[in-house]
Amino acid sequence: MPLRLQLTGITKRFPGVLANDNVTFSVKPGEIHALLGENGAGKSTLVKMIYGIMQPDAGEIAWDGEPVVVASPKAARKLGVGMVFQHFSLFEALTVLENIALGMDAKIPARELEARIRAVMSQYGLLLDPHRTVATLSVGERQRIEIVRALLLDPKLLIMDEPTSVLTPQEVEQLFTVLRTLAAQGCSILYISHKLHEIKALCDTATILRGGRLVDTCDPKQETSRSMAEKMIGAGLKDIVRQPGRSMGLPKLVVSRLSTRKAGHFDVAVDSVSLTVRAGEIFGIAGVAGNGQNALLDALSGEIISDDKDAITIDGYPLGLLDTTGRRKYGLCAVPEERNGHAAVGDFTLSDNSVLTARDRLGMVVLGLINSGAAKTYTGKVIADFAVKALGPGSTAGSLSGGNLQKYIMGREILQKPSVLVVSQPTWGVDAGAAAAIHQALVDLAAAGSAIVVISQDLDELLALCDTLAVINLGRLSGARPVGEVSVEEIGLLMGGVHGTTEARDAVSA
Amino acid sequence: MDIYIAIIVTLVGAASPILIAALGELVVEKAGVLNLGVEGMMLVGAIAGFAGQYYTGNPYFALLCGAFAGAATSLIFGFLTLSLSANQTATGLALTIFGTGFSALAGAPFSARPIELMRPLFPLELATHPILRVIFGYAAPVYFSFIMVFAVWYFLKKTRAGLILRAVGENDLSAHSIGYSVIGVRYAAVLFGGAMAGIAGACFPLLLTPQWAERMTAGRGWIAVALVVFASWRPFRLLAGAYLFGLVMTMELYAKAGGGPLSVIPSELWAALPYLATIVVLVLISIRRDASSNAPACLGRPFLPSN
Amino acid sequence: MLFRLEKRQEPSRFMLYATPVASVLLTMVVGAIIFSLIGYDGIGAVREIFFTPLTNAYKWQDLGVKAAPLVIIGVGLSIAYRANVWNIGAEGQYIMGGLAGTWVALATYGMTGPWILPLMILAGVVGGALYAAIPALLKTRLNVNEILTSLMLTYASVQLIYYLIRAPWKDPMGMGFPQTRLFSEAARLPTVIPGTIVHLGVPIAVLVALAAWFIMSRSVFGYQMKVVGAAPHAARYGGFSENKTIWLALLVSGALAGLAGVLEVAGPFQRMVPGFPTNYGFTAIIVAFLGRLNPLGVLFAGIVMAITFVGGEVAQTTIGLPNAATGIFQAMVLFFLLAGDILVRYRIRRVVANPAAGAA
Repeated sequence: MPLRLQLTGITKRFPGVLANDNVTFSVKPGEIHALLGENGAGKSTLVKMIYGIMQPDAGEIAWDGEPVVVASPKAARKLGVGMVFQHFSLFEALTVLENIALGMDAKIPARELEARIRAVMSQYGLLLDPHRTVATLSVGERQRIEIVRALLLDPKLLIMDEPTSVLTPQEVEQLFTVLRTLAAQGCSILYISHKLHEIKALCDTATILRGGRLVDTCDPKQETSRSMAEKMIGAGLKDIVRQPGRSMGLPKLVVSRLSTRKAGHFDVAVDSVSLTVRAGEIFGIAGVAGNGQNALLDALSGEIISDDKDAITIDGYPLGLLDTTGRRKYGLCAVPEERNGHAAVGDFTLSDNSVLTARDRLGMVVLGLINSGAAKTYTGKVIADFAVKALGPGSTAGSLSGGNLQKYIMGREILQKPSVLVVSQPTWGVDAGAAAAIHQALVDLAAAGSAIVVISQDLDELLALCDTLAVINLGRLSGARPVGEVSVEEIGLLMGGVHGTTEARDAVSA
Repeated sequence: MDIYIAIIVTLVGAASPILIAALGELVVEKAGVLNLGVEGMMLVGAIAGFAGQYYTGNPYFALLCGAFAGAATSLIFGFLTLSLSANQTATGLALTIFGTGFSALAGAPFSARPIELMRPLFPLELATHPILRVIFGYAAPVYFSFIMVFAVWYFLKKTRAGLILRAVGENDLSAHSIGYSVIGVRYAAVLFGGAMAGIAGACFPLLLTPQWAERMTAGRGWIAVALVVFASWRPFRLLAGAYLFGLVMTMELYAKAGGGPLSVIPSELWAALPYLATIVVLVLISIRRDASSNAPACLGRPFLPSN
Repeated sequence: MLFRLEKRQEPSRFMLYATPVASVLLTMVVGAIIFSLIGYDGIGAVREIFFTPLTNAYKWQDLGVKAAPLVIIGVGLSIAYRANVWNIGAEGQYIMGGLAGTWVALATYGMTGPWILPLMILAGVVGGALYAAIPALLKTRLNVNEILTSLMLTYASVQLIYYLIRAPWKDPMGMGFPQTRLFSEAARLPTVIPGTIVHLGVPIAVLVALAAWFIMSRSVFGYQMKVVGAAPHAARYGGFSENKTIWLALLVSGALAGLAGVLEVAGPFQRMVPGFPTNYGFTAIIVAFLGRLNPLGVLFAGIVMAITFVGGEVAQTTIGLPNAATGIFQAMVLFFLLAGDILVRYRIRRVVANPAAGAA
């Protein structure tokens, strides 16, 4: 049988970056093939070329043994390539049915399409109401639309781009069942991820990319997670260094019955959240995206001001009625998830971005005028201490890579020596080197006596970093548990909305 | 009785150009583009329609001239905002400044040269009875505006092309990644909006005042833009909104003509009323909570694919 | 041969300031061609509109007088646009400033004293700011689009002039003309250079531009305007209230437009007439963009636009070019400027050959 897909010498260059450098590998029919690599390793660029969104600068793509030019996504679908995007290509204001119709190249009468959708859904156990508006669906349900859309075309190759980053562990299991069924029917699957244990559980072959080049093609079942990670990163893994014999101090940040109002139609509000973080403690908040994490961060940072002054206290001092500037003065700093446009202004220089949050704590303003010299000095220190790759304080934030910008932002807050730091998704889309540096900086800050809250969707990150863990679901926070005493299954059930420990245990045994 | 019939007939005539222009803008905005140059495109359409009627005496040809001129003007906007991703707000304003200047320049030779108004579509005998006049008493553009309300609704709601257009306005990056031409769809929408604005502009000399006057559309293009917001991007609500404005403008005409209780209020206030009513209408619609939930998510944002 | 746009790593500062100059030059070239094609003396039009006002020393005072309101309004608009607040009703705020000044002038008619003029100016500033407060209130309270409200208020304000000078403020000795009486001596703006028409408004415009430049580049206020405009979400995170910024942007731009209005009515006009709205408020939009939303840039852009106004009048008498041609030249400048904006963020690369095609 000919190879389903054969890539030979694929090269793609962007201004200043070689995204793919002479990449060669192949996928057999019915094979589940992992494409593994860090953020920025060139995985997305590679699959965009397979799916016809971009064209390679050099190299050849062969399909079932025949050389082909994939001129457009339409051409790719005609060949039999289906794709499920990492950032879903869905239209929130449209219905499930309309979304799927948009992905079909042929014009199919609505009634016939609906019948076919229902058939595919029941065949793979992907249940959805075709007439619901996408905006009302959960992330997991949205992914099902994408999968159904791809399956309706009877694909011979299905590309899944980071499909599990937004799912609960249980949803991941369901997805794997669907993928294994498909593979058994002869459909090849190209599975993009950087989660090694998933790849070991699911995939037959793994191709590892690093800096745009192919490093290795291996059998993931023969490898350890660590060996694959080292191939992916290219050097020995750095572990987080913790000072031995740490002990927590007194409660520092106390949040009691903190709530927010729904801002938009499809917004998830914070619903009566209480938590206590002691000096030196790192408190993790897990949860599937869209369960109120953004509102919680805004409510803690002061972007959303509470009605109750005692909803948030630091060392007993009430901060609930203060805005971000007021809370910063009392030592509460925060880093939101979205780097460009929220934590930093892309069009501004790094120096001007330092003025954004550090102006009062570091005295950069005198009589309403900005002391740009002080801002520049401080920015230089952040760049040096956090090894930010930038030309200097005059570089615009938008010119930095995601990882470097994140290092700058974390540095800007940490060097203000906050007594409480709240961060969301601290290493999202950041390469392993930068992620390790950020994790270390957080651990060091805690060791110096600050209380830290980390909101993240990456369970592995939270388990490695935190002392205490809680789960947010539909704006409500579960009880906090020490990291050592909680199982992944339990967290998964909480993430899926099953509350209460007894209930969770019952569900597991059932 | 007769006075009410007369008011309705005038109202429908005054509302139709606004309705036509607003329908065009609605389609443009549904595709995710905010073209604030409606007033400018209408003025260019007005002078083109005027010239067409002046030279040929054929009002249908004149309307066609208006449509072409409006579309050609919108192409400037399309090129700047779609091909060069210029700021849509600023470009729309520039288009209005340009249209004002261009129409004044092109219209200068036509001042004080009247043309013939467009005649009603149906034979006059059909419209002898007052009630029948309400139905059969208008020129073709009025019926065109009715048909277009339905056509635009059907296109957006029931056709695949309409679905694609809405998708492009909702999430341009997704539409691009599935393989639709965002820029192509938006160009088509902008050209349609330009043609509709051009027709709307041509209605002013053909239906309302058969003479060339600088800035003869008097801000109606802006009112059309406001109506799209008021109608929360729904064609049938646009119909209602346009007729509301038709009523206000008809009252102004009656007040200026003198007599009756309307003339107690200074005529300047009547003249200012359509603009003040626009503000009131925008305020009313914004008090309703779901008003903006139907707004296209990408409205006014330039499309910048990463590759 | 193909061209491709390539994103620059950093926006080009050179292009940021070169494109306004290029767009004026391009307007001259393209304008000359277009006006020749439609049967006018194209080269003559460009010469009269862009160069005669500079070469003819008699016209310099006209330039100053025309540039002053454009600069004052343009500075205000540049501050508002920086904050992404689209006040396009400056013409209306200019009118309200003029009307407020007129009201003081008429109420103090026949009186003398050095307090009258400052009081008029204060009234003008407050009048413009109050009129801009309406869109600010509607935007911050009800999220009503400020573009539409400020513009609609402009149309309404024109009608207000017509009403006031037709009825309550009409000059009793005016032989039925709809206009107010000539202001008394104390309510007229003095000239600063004897023997010319250059009034106090001209140095005020320069001072406004310089002060605004300092405030926008150095102060927290300027930072606030810029950060709210560039990234509203980040601004909120940094502790700047978006609503407060919208208020400030509209009040400042309205106050400056009102200032221009009162200076204009007390200076060149010296009475309120139906022809008081002269489109300065709309042209100032072009001035703000051409000046790159930088108050010093606005100073130069105001002079350039004043040149086209004065030159347009010259061309009208010397070569019979219709007055509307000025508007077309001004719109062209803005079109070219907006088209050139892409060069700030992108560079144009020539694609010589397609290596993918060669390999396949």
